[in-house]
Amino acid sequence: MKRVLEGEGDAIHAHALRKEYDSLVAVDDLDLQISKGVLYGMIGPNGSGKTTTIKMLVGLLRATSGKAYILGEKVPIKSNIARIGYMPQEMAVYTDMTVHENLELFAELYSIGKEVFSKREENLLKVIDLVDRRDGLVSQLSGGMRHRVSLACALIHDPDVMFLDEPTVGVDPELRVGFWKYFGELKASGKTVILTTHYMDEAVRCDIVGMMRLGSLIGEGTPKELMDSTTTADLESAFMALSKKVPT
Amino acid sequence: MRVDRILAIAKKCLRSLRHDRRTVGFLVLMPLLMITIFGYTFGGNVKNVDVYVVNLDQAPANESVSAAIIANLESRNTLHIVRLYTTSDGLTQATEKVKDADIWAAIVFNETFTQDVTSASGGAGQPAMIGLTVDGTNPNIVSSISNELLTAIRAVLGQRAFLAPIVVAPDLIYGKDARFIDFFAPGVMGLAAMMVTFMLSIISFVHERSASTLDRLLSTPVTEGEIVAGYALAFGLVGLVQSCVIIGAAMILFDVMIVGNVLLALLVIFILGVGNQGLGFMLSSIAKNEFQAIQFLPLILFPSLLLSGVFWPIEAVPSLLRPVSYFIPLTYAVEGMRSVMIRGWSIDGIWLQLLILTAFAIAMLVLSTYGLKRRR
Repeated sequence: MKRVLEGEGDAIHAHALRKEYDSLVAVDDLDLQISKGVLYGMIGPNGSGKTTTIKMLVGLLRATSGKAYILGEKVPIKSNIARIGYMPQEMAVYTDMTVHENLELFAELYSIGKEVFSKREENLLKVIDLVDRRDGLVSQLSGGMRHRVSLACALIHDPDVMFLDEPTVGVDPELRVGFWKYFGELKASGKTVILTTHYMDEAVRCDIVGMMRLGSLIGEGTPKELMDSTTTADLESAFMALSKKVPT
Repeated sequence: MRVDRILAIAKKCLRSLRHDRRTVGFLVLMPLLMITIFGYTFGGNVKNVDVYVVNLDQAPANESVSAAIIANLESRNTLHIVRLYTTSDGLTQATEKVKDADIWAAIVFNETFTQDVTSASGGAGQPAMIGLTVDGTNPNIVSSISNELLTAIRAVLGQRAFLAPIVVAPDLIYGKDARFIDFFAPGVMGLAAMMVTFMLSIISFVHERSASTLDRLLSTPVTEGEIVAGYALAFGLVGLVQSCVIIGAAMILFDVMIVGNVLLALLVIFILGVGNQGLGFMLSSIAKNEFQAIQFLPLILFPSLLLSGVFWPIEAVPSLLRPVSYFIPLTYAVEGMRSVMIRGWSIDGIWLQLLILTAFAIAMLVLSTYGLKRRR
């Protein structure tokens, strides 16, 4: 049973979300509203609060104040937990297990049947281009490959809302294109994808981009809106222009 | 090879340490703890071994050799005479107490003891005998009781210028053919299971945290309690398999004594393994990395090794440290396994040890779960 319904039409709805570590404000009263079926890119430099925001939304960190809802359920979510997928920034895969064993573990935690798992595994291994490494130990894979396994683990249960923290870090340019194509397909099938990246050039592929700096959202809109409003030609310049407007 | 580069590397190592206050504290306090425990334990002799004395000797108090021997025993602290019976009723009660392992031995002087000593000293009759009904589970204790009796006998005979020997006739209730290996085997099994489960748990879980796989697990429907229980089951089984290897090798190579049900001994090991896994899990939340985690090992290992009765009886632990022994779960596991393997006891006899170990395991699992929840 959902505890509180708020912004039910939205995938994510956060109000005045705040996280403090002693005197450091990691996320500063953040308001966020992300509709279902949107590819949302959270961009910003290191320490801007992207990962902390995601961890609070996923329920791994308790907010100092404020509230958030995912698919209408108040965070930390319980009943909808199987509808979200989370890929941490770190590799976060079991290196002493094979690719298949990692995927199987997460499938079992989501109580996915063997047949469904087999099909999804087959599909995801194609997406991450590791079909021939299925039975290889993760410790024997390159850093980029491990990152791809991590992505597959986050998607094995076919979640409706995906939080992907830096999913394209360490991925070669050719495969990165493949990833973005796959994110587009997920979005087209009605899924909501929230990802963080510090590659501003690739954020242009997102429907909506939220620019974060010092724990606050300094700009939000379609890539075109952000560039137009700052009369810049790319997101990086738009970010720099918006940064200057905000006092440090 | 250049000295300045060597110094740079050395400086790097020391600088890293400087920022890790816990490690610095560990480096100072750990040797202190080790030398204290080792010094006290190795310096200690068996003391305060609980015994009953049944003195049926009819000789007048001022002539009684048995009374003199008892007084001599009481003047030292190797044996602790819990009760002194002077009627034959005490004989049955004392024997029952040994069978129940409430006391280690019953020392019995018969009705004609002093008379027998006097007669034998005059060249007539058989040597006088002291009956010793003793729990033979622990060879150290058996030899300590025998030696103590012989010391007392020698002292009294010397004082009274008796020439006759006094024979101590031991009757072992348990462990009739027990050797030191039979005494050690249960202890080593418990120690190995404890070490492996603790180490595996603490290292695995610190890695789980540092590699962020824990975050990933906690973002799935799996609950904190399920994670803790899963770990406990896995490492409890690892401890069990390891014990099977030890017991198998001990049986094949050393023909180790197993009087009771070996499965019951393995149950004790499993519960101990689950509890120590929980302890490792709980302590892993304090350690920031594998390096800090491994520092907990000697902290847990040394007290368990020296104070839980693995290599020498609890009675040999100095009284200052003995209360610590009763807070170490391994103490109960070793006692329980010895009762099964040497005394041949069933679950009725080791229910207290099982209860304590189960309570320890549950407490550790609950605290681990709470620690995981608190982490969010």
